[in-house]
Parts: sequence; structure tokens; C-alpha cells
Amino acid sequence: MSFDEEMREALQTFIIESLELLQDMEECLLSLEDGDDPTERVNAIFRAAHTIKGSSGLFGLDHIVSFTHVVESVLDALRDGKLGISPELVAALLPCCDHIALLIRNVVDGQLDADPAISAAGRELIDELQQFLQPGSVAEKAVTVSEKQDILEASGGGTMDSGNWHLSLRFGPDSLRDGMDPLSFIRYLSTLGSIAQLTTIAENMPIADQMDPETCYLGFEINFKSGAGKEEIEGVFEFVRETSTIRILPMDSEIDEFISLIKELPEDESFLGQLLVKSGALTKRELEDALNLQGEGDTEDGGQAAKSKQPIGEILVEQQVVQQPIVSAALDKQKQIKDNKARENQSIRVDAERLDILIDLIGELVISSAGVNLRALETRETGLLETTGEMMRLVEEVRDSALQLRMVPIGTTFSRFQRVVRDVSKELGKDIELIISGGDTEVDKSVVEKIGDPLMHLVRNSMDHGIETADLRRQRSKPARGSLRLNAYHASGSIVIEVSDDGGGLNRDRILEKAVERGLVQHNAVMSDQDVYALIFEPGFSTAQQVSNLSGRGVGMDVVKRNVTALRGRIEVESQIGMGTTMRIHLPLTLAIIDGFMVGVGKSTFVIPLDQILECVALPEDTGDREYVDLRGEVLPLIRLRPLFEIDCEPPRRENIVVVEYAGNKAGFIVDQLLGEFQTVIKPLSKLFAHIKGVAGSTILGSGKVALILDVPSLLEYVGSKNALVPPSLSQHSAQ
Amino acid sequence: MTAMTKTTDQLPAKQHTAAAGQYLTFVLGGEVYALGILNIKEIIDYGNLTEVPMMPAFVRGVINLRGSVVPVVDLAARFGKGCTKIAKRTGIVIVETIADSEEGNQQDIGIIVDAVNEVVDISQQEIEPPPSFGTGIRPDFINGMAKRDGRFVILLNVGRVLSVEEMSNLSRTPLNSEEHGDG
Repeated sequence: MSFDEEMREALQTFIIESLELLQDMEECLLSLEDGDDPTERVNAIFRAAHTIKGSSGLFGLDHIVSFTHVVESVLDALRDGKLGISPELVAALLPCCDHIALLIRNVVDGQLDADPAISAAGRELIDELQQFLQPGSVAEKAVTVSEKQDILEASGGGTMDSGNWHLSLRFGPDSLRDGMDPLSFIRYLSTLGSIAQLTTIAENMPIADQMDPETCYLGFEINFKSGAGKEEIEGVFEFVRETSTIRILPMDSEIDEFISLIKELPEDESFLGQLLVKSGALTKRELEDALNLQGEGDTEDGGQAAKSKQPIGEILVEQQVVQQPIVSAALDKQKQIKDNKARENQSIRVDAERLDILIDLIGELVISSAGVNLRALETRETGLLETTGEMMRLVEEVRDSALQLRMVPIGTTFSRFQRVVRDVSKELGKDIELIISGGDTEVDKSVVEKIGDPLMHLVRNSMDHGIETADLRRQRSKPARGSLRLNAYHASGSIVIEVSDDGGGLNRDRILEKAVERGLVQHNAVMSDQDVYALIFEPGFSTAQQVSNLSGRGVGMDVVKRNVTALRGRIEVESQIGMGTTMRIHLPLTLAIIDGFMVGVGKSTFVIPLDQILECVALPEDTGDREYVDLRGEVLPLIRLRPLFEIDCEPPRRENIVVVEYAGNKAGFIVDQLLGEFQTVIKPLSKLFAHIKGVAGSTILGSGKVALILDVPSLLEYVGSKNALVPPSLSQHSAQ
Repeated sequence: MTAMTKTTDQLPAKQHTAAAGQYLTFVLGGEVYALGILNIKEIIDYGNLTEVPMMPAFVRGVINLRGSVVPVVDLAARFGKGCTKIAKRTGIVIVETIADSEEGNQQDIGIIVDAVNEVVDISQQEIEPPPSFGTGIRPDFINGMAKRDGRFVILLNVGRVLSVEEMSNLSRTPLNSEEHGDG
């Protein structure tokens, strides 16, 4: 793999991770105001921003870095308690999240540099954020914005040019005898930087007559300013290292620097010592010494063994090679790495495509095992039947667990609505609270992807038309704050998603009135509540007196219905006037495999989705050429599949009716044989068949033959439009 | 591989540019045709075909090719020469095509042939430009004519003959297209 490719892959990971982080960030931001203890969430937000900044830096996405940096500064101030959590702050930060997401999406589109228009928008956001940073008593550390110098001045005290390293040198007594002049080292040291301050330590110097002129008694405390790293400085004293005590410590003002360095380290080292070495706070030699010391301690203690082993961190602090705060930071980092490792073990990121391939293969396995089973049944060999029976059971288990792999909790989809509800309620001037429950209900990923839009429509609709204004709510003696509930649960092999509000409810009379006005129903039609409520899903139907920019134009609900139907789901409406409305979406758990019902017409086999079938009855022999039958007093229009599908062979003596229902419309398909239920693995049909009506897809039978899956809604529509076999307002028939 | 199929796909742009190479020859309604070997995936016996209703006659149906559902086209019907009669030697040649619409994803299509002959090497000098008429099929279906053993072999242009877009548009019944108008 070339470097470029690797980078591209890494970039892909970065994008995915960043978008996820942004989502987390948004969620946390939204929950900031109402939570009890926001610390953890503030930290989480900060971490997210920080990670995004760090990784974008890695890819040289400087525009993202600079923008995120400001956001991070604000968050830092928030974390340090310099800023309070306020709705204004949250409101200012949310668009920033969006902006970062926008920047990252642009990266996806291959735009690696700043776009002038976008960065202008970014600047506006930054200006807004700056307002939060400025008024605080002193800008202090919060404005870590531009230069490092600022920090030094702010925390280092005064304008004194202080160094960034503290060197503590105690030359060994034999240094001079060995030909090592301490002064030459200090001179050499000054080539690496400037010595800001030097104190000579002469406490060890004995009185004159006891002094040995060849012995070195001197020590130095040096305040050293240099861009060199610890390792480099240590190198200066290479020759006296053995006999002397050399301590090189960062100055207090630099400790923060190291701490932040440690925090930014990539998470691949989990040893404390390694972490410190990486950050430059510790040199390799110091680490080795400390490890030796640790080892010695071990052998000295002998029997007490590993338990009494002194932690390396403690040793390092004791030996004064690093300061406590740095060690603590490194320890924190170490813990974080461990946590992350633990989390990684729990989940693996898998390409969705690979999963799809697996599911496809398992679909084939189901089909071919059905074939095997068929053959086995023909042989009537008990041993074979037993083994195939066992295999079938296993295959089914494999299928179920494979489908499980694609299941994702619906919670992520739900939590997106926190933001929507917040924004829309501001826009509408209503106070609306979103209550989410059942977020861990799992559903197929493909369903989750497609349910977002319909849910969005329903939520907006509920907020706009359902929930009343605060004044009206008070009049109706309801709490001024409206509530919107999103709920999900499993019910008999399907997932149910509820969107409910405690608003005004649907006005049955007004809907009917509107429907009559538009000619959808007859004036004196008697309809059940369900039927009336179903009218709101008619295209162009709206009872709203005002058209807002959110909804009310009557587009939307029919789209919702169409989308839900496309997922082979259905919508139920439950409403009580004055109390609220609940929209209930029933969806199949998966799109890849359905329960089908096989029917035979001539030599062909068709599969009808089981959930659309109401019942099967024998075709009365006296039907003749009539296109309807009397089904327990109800008129049931008939669709003869034989002529429709141009299957030319004589119909058998006895034919059957499969009664299907779609959107309140009932119809009967006339077929030859009823072949029973069948687990149907849906295979898409070639594009060649894109234009045919009435066929939803295909499946492969146990015999290896292909069977077509009938698309009941489009078949009804097709036949209806072809020769008006199905009256357009069938629902009236069923109600009368 | 993709690159290769692409080149054959681009051929129709330039006229009579059938390249030398290996071709699979087959018989269909007494005429010998040839297809570039690079487009051909496999040859199977005719059988287990499921008819798809409401499709034009040249789409015979679909078959199960090891788990994927592959449409089968009757070339004779596509050429307007009536439906192929199924006989003992009838086979289905699975051809890989590049969908000429959007993504350009690859799609397998089976074609019904009376009998499969052989794989032959056809050199450039054997290839003649297609006549503008006289073959009885649309000139744009032909890439060239090759002389083999004293008779002509029609070198087919896979991209045109099995154009998914064109075929699926043909399958729109007038009623369907009406519905598409308002939908």
C-alpha cells in the first residue's frame, strides 16, 4: 500500500470519527443545560473538540485546526469554570459544531483547503465566541489562542526573561581528577541556549584546610532557556553522567506544556515511562536508571515480590527526574489509553459492504439448504433427514445472528432530533421538550437510514400543528411546556416507532370537512376514526389554516406514508382531541428477508408478502366472469393474475382468492394453488425490469427456480388505473 | 478487466472498429454470430427459466445463476427475427455488460443461442466493416464482419445489443409511461 493510499484511508477514518465525535458533542451540548452535573459532559465536549483539532492537524487541515482551536479555548474556559453554562453559550457553540462538520464534509469532497466563503462564516462564529472569552475578568489562560509567549507572561510572572529548564548539577568529587572541568560543561551548555540565571552551590565545600584542591565540591542550579529538548541537554553532561548527579527539570511554567503534550500523544504506548519519554519530559537514560532502580528494589525485597514493586512514577518523582504533575498527567493518559483499549475490544468497526456480502451469502445458504432439505425429503432416509433437519436449524440460527449484525440501536437517529426540536421550537416560539425512550431498540441499519426523513416530517408536523402555543396551552390548563415523545419498541417481529405529542389532537370534523370539500369522501360517508385520520396522509391534504415555512402545505404526510410503505411498513394514527396525537410507524425488522406466501398460477410461482395478506378463500364456482365477489357481505374486487401476467394455460377447476389489503384497500388475487408460507430472501431484479409494475423483486426457491415477489400496492394501483377495476374510494365500501 | 470491457464498450463511437482477438461463435436462426471473448462469463444449458410478465418478447425471463438473478434475452427476438425455439442444443451465454446509465456498474445478462460453436482467433485482416444494410439486423448492433471458412461471421457490438437502458425503456408499456408522466 502506498503512502498516499494509507493517508487516504487514514483520512477516511478521521472523517468518520470526527463526524461521530461531532454528533456526541452536539448531544452533550444539548444536554448541558438540563443535566445535574455537567462536568463530565463538558469534559466530553472538550475531548471531542480536542481530538478533532489534533487529528486535523495531523492531516494538515489547518483551517479546521484554527477554527476548532477557538472553540476549544472556549470549552477550556468552560471546563475550568471561568465561563458559566448559559443558553447563549450553547446557542453559540451549536453552530460551531455544524461549521466543523461542514468543514469536514468539504474534506470528504476533496476540498482540503479553506473555502473563502466558508471561512468568512467561520470568522463570524469565532467573533461570537470571542465575546464569551473577552469579558471574563482577565483573558488569562483561556486565551491560549495565539502565541505561546502569552502564556508564559501570564503564568510565569512578570516580564523577566525566565528560562524553561531547571538544571540541577552536582558534580562528582572526582570530576576534576578525571579531567572534567565543570565550567567547560557550562560553557558548552550555553551553546544550546542562554543561561538565564546561575547559582553556585558551595555548601559541600569544607573548611580550607580540609579541602582537597583536586576534589570538586561544586554544584550549580541553572535556569536555562533553550529550545533544546531534555535529551539534548542531557547529552551535554554525557561524560560526567556516571559520577555526577544531573537533574534536568522543566520549569513550572512549562509543566503545563508537557501535560498537554502528554495528552496529545497518540494512544499506542501504554507504559508510563514510554509516555514520559515520548513527551520529552524524561530521557531514555533516566528511564533506564529508574527501571534499574525498580529492579533493584525488587531483588532487595526478595520474597515480597511484585506486590511491593514501587511504581515507576513514584521512583521518577523521588529521583527528581520529573515533577509530580507531569507524572500524574501521564498516569491519566495511561488510564485513558487503557479505557479506550477496553472499549475497542467491545466493538469492531466493519465495512457495511462486507456485512452485506455476508448477509447475501447467508441468503444463498438459506436457499440452498432449502433445496437440500427438499431432496432429503424425497429420499425418505431417516439418517439424512435428521442431519438435514439439524443443518436447517443451524442455518436458521446463522441467518438470525447474521441479521443481528446489521442491527443498530435507533437511539442515534432519535438523538438527532434533540437538535431539531430545539431549533424548531425556537423558531416557532414554543417551549417544547423532547422525551426519548426505547432508544436501544435495535433495527436493521438500512431501515434506520431510511426512517430519518419520515420521522423528521412527523416531528416537525407535531411541533407545528400538534403542540399549541404556550398561551393556548395555559388556557387549556396544560403545562406551558409542550412535550414530544419519541419511543420505540419491538412488537411481534416488527419495530414500532411512536411520535407522540400532548398537543391539540386531530380535529376529526375538520379533516372530514376538508376531505368532503376536496372530494375525497362523500358528504354523508360514515367512517371510522382510523379511516378519517388516514386521510391526512392523502397527497396535498392539509387542515392548517396557516402555512408556515415548516409545514402546512400538505406536502409531507403523503411523503411520509410513501417512505414508510416503501420500507414495507405502515402508519397508525391515534388521537384524542385536546389530549394529543400519537403516530405509530410499524416497520419490518429487516429488509433482506421477509415472510412470504407462495402461490401458483399455471406453472409459475409467485410470492406475496405475508403481512399484506388478510386471508385465503376458495373462489366461488358461480363467479363466472364477474370482477368482484361477495366476501361476507363486502364487495371484494378481483384481480385475475392469469390474464394479467399473460400466463396461457387452462385454469384448474378450483381456484383460490388471496385477499390482500393495502392502505385500507382490499382486493382479491385469483390464483391456482396456495403453496404456503416461505422465508423469502429478497433478490433485487435487474435494471432491465425497472419499469415493470407489480413486481417488487425476486427470490430463489428451494428448487433453484426464481420466483417473483408481487408488489401489492403497485399492482393494485396498476390494475386500478388500467381499467378502474378498483373503485378509487374503496375505503368507503369497507365502511358502509 | 474493467478497462478491457470498457474499450469494447466504447467501440460503437468509432465505426467498424472490431478489433482482432478471440471470439466465441454461435448459431442463432441459421446465422453465425460472434462475441468478443472478454465479455463472456460462462455458457450454461438452457433451463429453469422464470418468465417475467409484462415484458417485451425479447426478454425471456430470469434464471438463478448460483444465487444471483440474471435476466435472459432472446437475441433472435431482439433482432426482430421471431422467438427462438428451445431445442436440445439451446444454451445461455452469460455476458457481462456495463450498464450505460449512471454508476456504470456491471451487470450480467444471459442470451439464448441455438448452439455454441467454438472460440476462434480473428485477425485484423479478416475483419470487414459492416454493411449498412443487408444483414437483416440494425447496423449499430454490428461491429464488423469476419470471413471464416468461406462464410461471414457477424461480430456483435455487445454494448448496443444488450444496452440495459434501451431494453428497459422498450419494456415500458404505453400505460406505464402514462403513469410515469404524473408520477
